[in-house]
Amino acid sequence: MSAARLSLALAVVASVLAADVALAQPAPARPTPPASPREAAPIDLTGQWVAIVNEDWRWRMVTPPKGDYASVPLNDEGRRVADQWDVSQDGHCEAYGAGALLRMPTRLRIRWDGAARLVLETDAGRQIRNFDFGAQAPAGARSLQGQSAAKWVTPPRNPGGPGLAGAGGGPASNGGYLEVKTSNLSPGWLRRNGVPYSEDAAVTEYFARFAAPNGAEWLIVTTIVDDPRYLTQRFVVSNHFRKEAEGGHWNPRACGGGA
Amino acid sequence: MRLSWIRGRELRFAAVTAWLAWLTAYAPAQTNLVGYWNPLFHEDVDERIPGPSIGDYLGLPISDAARLRAEAWDASLLSMPEHQCKPHPSTYGFRGVGVLRIWEDRDDDTQQLVKIHTHIAWQEQHREIWMDGRPHPPEYAQHTWQGFSTGSWDGDVLVVKTTHLKAGWMRRNGLPLSDRATMTDRFHRYGDIMTHVMIVEDPVYLTEPLVKTNGFLLQPAGTMTPYPCEPVVEVVREPGFVPHYLPGKNPFLDEFGEHYGLPREATRGGAATALPEFAETLR
Repeated sequence: MSAARLSLALAVVASVLAADVALAQPAPARPTPPASPREAAPIDLTGQWVAIVNEDWRWRMVTPPKGDYASVPLNDEGRRVADQWDVSQDGHCEAYGAGALLRMPTRLRIRWDGAARLVLETDAGRQIRNFDFGAQAPAGARSLQGQSAAKWVTPPRNPGGPGLAGAGGGPASNGGYLEVKTSNLSPGWLRRNGVPYSEDAAVTEYFARFAAPNGAEWLIVTTIVDDPRYLTQRFVVSNHFRKEAEGGHWNPRACGGGA
Repeated sequence: MRLSWIRGRELRFAAVTAWLAWLTAYAPAQTNLVGYWNPLFHEDVDERIPGPSIGDYLGLPISDAARLRAEAWDASLLSMPEHQCKPHPSTYGFRGVGVLRIWEDRDDDTQQLVKIHTHIAWQEQHREIWMDGRPHPPEYAQHTWQGFSTGSWDGDVLVVKTTHLKAGWMRRNGLPLSDRATMTDRFHRYGDIMTHVMIVEDPVYLTEPLVKTNGFLLQPAGTMTPYPCEPVVEVVREPGFVPHYLPGKNPFLDEFGEHYGLPREATRGGAATALPEFAETLR
């Protein structure tokens, strides 16, 4: 390649990139305050969602038999505690703690409380979880729902270039999901038959939303329970919820006894 | 600057170079899925490891036609040479056993992503996901176990659309999927955990889309072994005989429900059995 040809090519490349950079990053006129978590939300999780229970059905829709902890990576101590469960404890509130609340056959209502707190409410067990963005309040007493720190995770922004990698069927979006880390928990159950997690457990959840080809809106929650006391490895499940009209079939029913 | 020395070739070269630079600078958000992934069986373990019970359709939005087909299914079918080496269709394979390997094909000159491969060890399920914007072939094109797949990015989530599937299954107890089924699947990565979401539509055997999720754990030092399969005659049968049950003659349909104390209206499935209010009817 001649030097002239190379120079021309480099000049054109530099011009194109410089022009785009200039267009994509206009000089700010004046400093603007950072957007609140509510304003910065990359996805809208608010509204009413219904659990579609087509996985682990017989562990979720009914109370499984005592000692049925198949697929939960319990250690010996976890099994020992699970074996102490008695059917008289069926329905106790330990089954509705943050470690497994979203496994229940339930509906969710998610709403904002101010600009930095998302509230998730379930009709099953009548539980309320608060997802707080930013600085956390001092930890209080341990509780079934613990203390949850939330943050939005957004991928690098796609400025809409026609890159080959973005092609292949359907428009790309900028995605993003909610990460929630929960601690300060009181002991609870991973299953309704007393499969335990301890107060040492930490729960990490990822909330993602998308539209299916038929237009239905789905919420996928991946839940990871890490409990060094009762588990040999992280327990990972994912729950799917379908958006529905507010108020439809909302049926609050309290849990009874226990925690 | 004098432009008289600029010839057509130089202009074309410069334009192509600039376009490629622009593509590189503005590639959509992507995540790297490349590597070996072990399936996590913390969910649906009965179905996915030992295999589902006959007559267990709990929570699945199946049509009457699907139920009828499943009730005619005899597990002895799998002992026939024609059925021994079948891979799972892509509408089921991610729920099965076996390491998942993912890798990319990139254009040597542009380094643009052309294709993503997924390969699941069991029966060597190899899937190609085209990322270069090509259209799906016409309906009359060949239908295969893995189908024809194209991918795009929803933020950093890989979204794949699959058509041209052979008639397959949604559960390994005879619940069928037709060759009109299509699938949209999504790959959400959270560090070393991947949540795979599949949305299967089938106008023949489903009354609404079937949504399932599967967890995977990244294996930094993962490996994969080959899975050769050679069919043999396991059972000598009369020529032309195909194991089956005629309608109403399958004696095993109620065993699952009886074992777990579940009523038939639950075990026979249907979209309503997946809703929370169905649980209330069981109390």
